[in-house]
Amino acid sequence: MSNDILVVAELKDGQLKKSAHELLSVARKLAGELGGKAHAAVLGAGASGAAGELAEWGAESVLAGEAPAGALAAVRALAGAVASKQPRAVLFGVSAFSRDVAARLAARAGGALASDAIGLKAEGGGLQVVRPVCAGRAILTANHAGPGPLVATLRANSFEIAKPAAPGAGTVEALEVTAAEADLRVSVKEFVATKSERPELTEASIVVSGGRSLGSAEHFKVIYALADAMGAAAGASRAAVDAGYAPHAMQVGQTGKTVSPALYVACGISGAIQHLAGMRTSKYIVAINKDPNATIFKLADFGIVGDLFEVCPALAAEVKKLRG
Amino acid sequence: MKIAVCVKLVPSTTARIQPGADGKALDLAGVEMVLSPYDGYALEEALKAREKLAGSTILAVSAGPAAASAALTQAYEVGADEALHVKAEGLDAAAAARCAAAVLKAEKPGLVFCGRQAIDDDQWLFPALLGELLDLPHVTAVSGFELAADGSSATCRRRVEGGEEVLAVKLPAVISCDKGLNEPRVPTLKGRLNAKKKQVASKTPAELGLSGADLMPALEIVSYAPPPEKSPGRIVEAPAAEAAAELAKWMRDEAKVI
Repeated sequence: MSNDILVVAELKDGQLKKSAHELLSVARKLAGELGGKAHAAVLGAGASGAAGELAEWGAESVLAGEAPAGALAAVRALAGAVASKQPRAVLFGVSAFSRDVAARLAARAGGALASDAIGLKAEGGGLQVVRPVCAGRAILTANHAGPGPLVATLRANSFEIAKPAAPGAGTVEALEVTAAEADLRVSVKEFVATKSERPELTEASIVVSGGRSLGSAEHFKVIYALADAMGAAAGASRAAVDAGYAPHAMQVGQTGKTVSPALYVACGISGAIQHLAGMRTSKYIVAINKDPNATIFKLADFGIVGDLFEVCPALAAEVKKLRG
Repeated sequence: MKIAVCVKLVPSTTARIQPGADGKALDLAGVEMVLSPYDGYALEEALKAREKLAGSTILAVSAGPAAASAALTQAYEVGADEALHVKAEGLDAAAAARCAAAVLKAEKPGLVFCGRQAIDDDQWLFPALLGELLDLPHVTAVSGFELAADGSSATCRRRVEGGEEVLAVKLPAVISCDKGLNEPRVPTLKGRLNAKKKQVASKTPAELGLSGADLMPALEIVSYAPPPEKSPGRIVEAPAAEAAAELAKWMRDEAKVI
């Protein structure tokens, strides 16, 4: 095993996802601490085009595989990348792709998995990872010394993004992606895109969420308007989803999505433990609620006791003003 | 067809979780333990599959300490045919998957249902690793499942970034179940009484051919800690326009997000 770190970058419509920058920032820092190098692997249509950007962000070598790969073929290809680089850690963002691939890759590479990491550093010749358990009700710190690599998925917005002082000039190599017959046992037949101009909940740097006190699906437009003014994703509490005010895809919480934006704005959300589970690692939390005793205020960096139907439109107007 | 369901007993979603005295484990004394909610969807989907495939039976499996068999009793209550408890302490998700794989290698199920994540360790590891260990395909976080009438394949739906995917999977396969897949049934009185008559079978890892190394945790636990305390934030009680203006400035100057 080397002291190198391998980042698995993801593409969306041929472009690197934002998580790639975060992952390479972490990888460069770790590699610096360990005396190794950062590498990147990227799969799918547009991989070769994105490889240059990964090199600029500090990957000493980029393994690019253009061929479209299902999850099992991706595991096979990435296992090849791990075999060639022998990294101490393999880093993924948290995504549907990594949920599918990371655990199998860890097993195939003879390593270990740590999901949803919010901290990662070199420690005692190995690595130390920090991750929430029990939906954030406790924080686990654990050491990894091998055998095999630590495969970690990193929660979005949990690590500093730092561009290298000067663009890197790493090499680009072709990564072989060949699906074995067994890899074709599962395949995507169709992708039905959700029509939304807003950023993806789990990746957004700002999330604006509404709770049951919105009172109806119609009233949720207050949330959407504020989200749009801030360039934010829109979320909802379980109570609001169960009441039919918002689709399940918007649910933030234990049985929905876990988000970790730079700013989370909770509107009319009381702060049930199962909601906090999905957003408590957000960097800054804002609460807007009529009830001054709502639990959410205990977590809030900034709280407004007031009527969300008055505060949200006023806030949207103020944000637009500041943004010019 | 044999249909397997993997279940786990976990602290309830509302339980207060505290690290133990030495910080190396969670103190679960007096904590209410429940079937991991996603495993409830897995169990229900297994029951639906059994209804569809004549002659099929359900085997529920759990790996963990003695108390973990309560999850299997719950599986009996809703109608599982067999239940097997692999008794072992201190398993992490990967070790638990190796235990389940050792059982299922012999049982050769046509379908394996699991929850997408156990809500205690939140690793999202078990179904994918089980697939890997059994050399079966898996599909993560399925919210729609349609089994072909002949039981040879299935169509799965799942939510991914930006939309929904429809996947075709050849069976046998491991299906990880998400909320929205179904509404788990509540056990009937008759179901409860039947469960009382049934024994949960148990095996040790050694009886399944597993070694000490198979059961070792993958990571060395340094500590469990409560989430960091947040210092009290600024709370504003003012007319909406005024409060909103102050918040917008704070977003720009302190949070630096706009």
